[in-house]
Amino acid sequence: MFIRLVRNELEKTWRSRWIVFAVMAGIFVLIAGGLYTFYVISQHRWSPPPAVAWQTTLRDEIVANQSSITQLQQIKQQQGGGAGGQFGRGFSIDDVIARDRQAIVDDQYLLDNNIAPLQSYSITLAALFGLGGIVMFLLLRVFGWLASEQIAGERSDRTIAILLSRPMSRDQLLLAKAVASFLISLAVVVVTFLIVYAMLAFIEGSFGPLTGQIAIAVDGSKPVGSGNLVVMSIPLFVLMCLGAAMLGVLCVQGMSLLISVVTGRWAAIGITLAVLFGAALVSAIVSGIITVISGDPNSAHFLNYLFVNVLVPVSAIAPVFGNSPAAAGTGMNEFGSQLVTLGVWTVAFFAAAWLFFHRKQEAG
Amino acid sequence: MLGMAAIVEVDRLSKSFGRVRALHEISFTVAEGEVFGFLGPNGAGKTTTIRILLGLLNSDAGTARIGGFDCWTGHAKAARLFGATLEQPALYGFLSGRDNLRLFARLLGPVDEAQITELLGLVGMTERGDDKVKRYSMGMRQRLALAQGMLGKPRLLILDEPTNGLDPNGIHGLRILLRKLATDQGLTIFFSSHLLSEVEELCDRVVVLHRGEVKVAGPLSEVVNVKGFNYRIDVSDVDKAIEIVRSIEGATVERGTIKDSITVSSKTDLARIINQALVATGIGVDQLVRTEKGLEDVYIELTGVAPGSPLSAPPPPPPAPPVAVKR
Repeated sequence: MFIRLVRNELEKTWRSRWIVFAVMAGIFVLIAGGLYTFYVISQHRWSPPPAVAWQTTLRDEIVANQSSITQLQQIKQQQGGGAGGQFGRGFSIDDVIARDRQAIVDDQYLLDNNIAPLQSYSITLAALFGLGGIVMFLLLRVFGWLASEQIAGERSDRTIAILLSRPMSRDQLLLAKAVASFLISLAVVVVTFLIVYAMLAFIEGSFGPLTGQIAIAVDGSKPVGSGNLVVMSIPLFVLMCLGAAMLGVLCVQGMSLLISVVTGRWAAIGITLAVLFGAALVSAIVSGIITVISGDPNSAHFLNYLFVNVLVPVSAIAPVFGNSPAAAGTGMNEFGSQLVTLGVWTVAFFAAAWLFFHRKQEAG
Repeated sequence: MLGMAAIVEVDRLSKSFGRVRALHEISFTVAEGEVFGFLGPNGAGKTTTIRILLGLLNSDAGTARIGGFDCWTGHAKAARLFGATLEQPALYGFLSGRDNLRLFARLLGPVDEAQITELLGLVGMTERGDDKVKRYSMGMRQRLALAQGMLGKPRLLILDEPTNGLDPNGIHGLRILLRKLATDQGLTIFFSSHLLSEVEELCDRVVVLHRGEVKVAGPLSEVVNVKGFNYRIDVSDVDKAIEIVRSIEGATVERGTIKDSITVSSKTDLARIINQALVATGIGVDQLVRTEKGLEDVYIELTGVAPGSPLSAPPPPPPAPPVAVKR
């Protein structure tokens, strides 16, 4: 019975909203085409570049940082030694030199211990960019919109009454709708991930190994070292990112379902998108203001208890380089705490949605 | 109908929405196999009652049962016994008629394609069954909604204003179909309407609802027990005719709504007397049509009455026969 319910819901969503997926696919094609065109123009070649091993990349970085340090020291001498000049607010030449030195130490540590950083392979990069960042940000808004129509749309179309009069429990119906939404979004996320993977594989010149290990920082602001690294197999990392992305999706769907249960179609869509866009925007502004006033980049961190700010936990994972105080609030620690926050909100949303729907009387 | 099990039992059902009292202790039963008419003006509480039966609303007091199962707490079981249509046909516009039926059939069990084809044929939608519902006319939607209600071979059909939006052909077709379902398949049909002619044609028993209360309930023949006659007479001289008929004892006369006609009502049959009186004074009588007072008159009397005016109490609902209930 339940499978049949889910099947019905999948069919309804697909048949009424297939255009949304067609548009998304079209946008992907356009972006891929645009990026490829840009690549061809800038690189003067049609085919992928030759692949570069991660060790070579790290060695090149070390060399680049060393020459940067040398140049900065020369500038410092030219400015008459002493405390060193200023590169604008908060930067001093000493700060930059120190950072470059730390980067060399970090990279050397990785080379010495044969640990590939997170950004070494196209599939792990795909997990970072395709399951995090702007891609997931936009996908979540689409999923929120679709989920908000689940009950509210039926109410506005006046099919909810007949549906509820049928011999299945309300709980079953709500669950079937939630499961169908989730399955559809899972399919979209996986396909998106694969597309991003293909694009990155082209840019990196290779699909890269699918097995092996990579390292992620535990606390992005601290130096790389044995206490600050998590080493993980590549498939596990990809699955972890997928799970985190889908938890964010589930949270959005829970919120949208809750709104959907209590209003009609257009109110549900409006409120959902207003929250997903508006709350994020307002929160970013508030965060900026607090940070500027207090001067401490971590003072607005409490806003991460708001679900809107942790919907894409993958964005919190810090690659293992560029570690600096500015990267505070990234890393596996932050990833973990965001997942917990997300989990709590998700459970709360679904529980509230169930509670309301279970007892809602449809007076028509 | 005595001795038939009751499939719908409503006992002192009450429902309010805030301060608005939609239903006040209404009671009635529907016996299996009968066609039951649920009448009342807009706002009387018909839709509220139906929504309670469908398990969409919970009552404030009293009980509503279908097949012995409570409509709210036992909804999952009760719903297996009935199919329903609502005032506005509830269909998904972006799907075809056939797909809609498949969708709803799937809620009841594995889809039986043969039954769907048969139902489409029964409601006359075979040709347009594969077009999207958003292209259907209102009549077509009503017919498809009826087919949807019959999925799963229910024992009871609950129809809320099934003639809503139908043209005379459609109404005629529906009437024939419903009668056929009731007699051939023994289906119990419960329908609400304010089209009295349909109710008179089809129903075995009726309930008249007004302002949330049952005004009268019982077999149609008993409800329409007001003895009386109406006449519409086409005459050559209306004013003179009115004068003449007014003088006849027991006749109430007024100008007819159709040109050159008068309407007369009386307790006994005065057709011959009126005709002779008119002809004797030289008034031409082109047509004299006689009808017995019917449901419409009862309905108007019961529901068009100003509040507070004296009205005899409705007869108590017939006692419910013992119900064999499978739990």
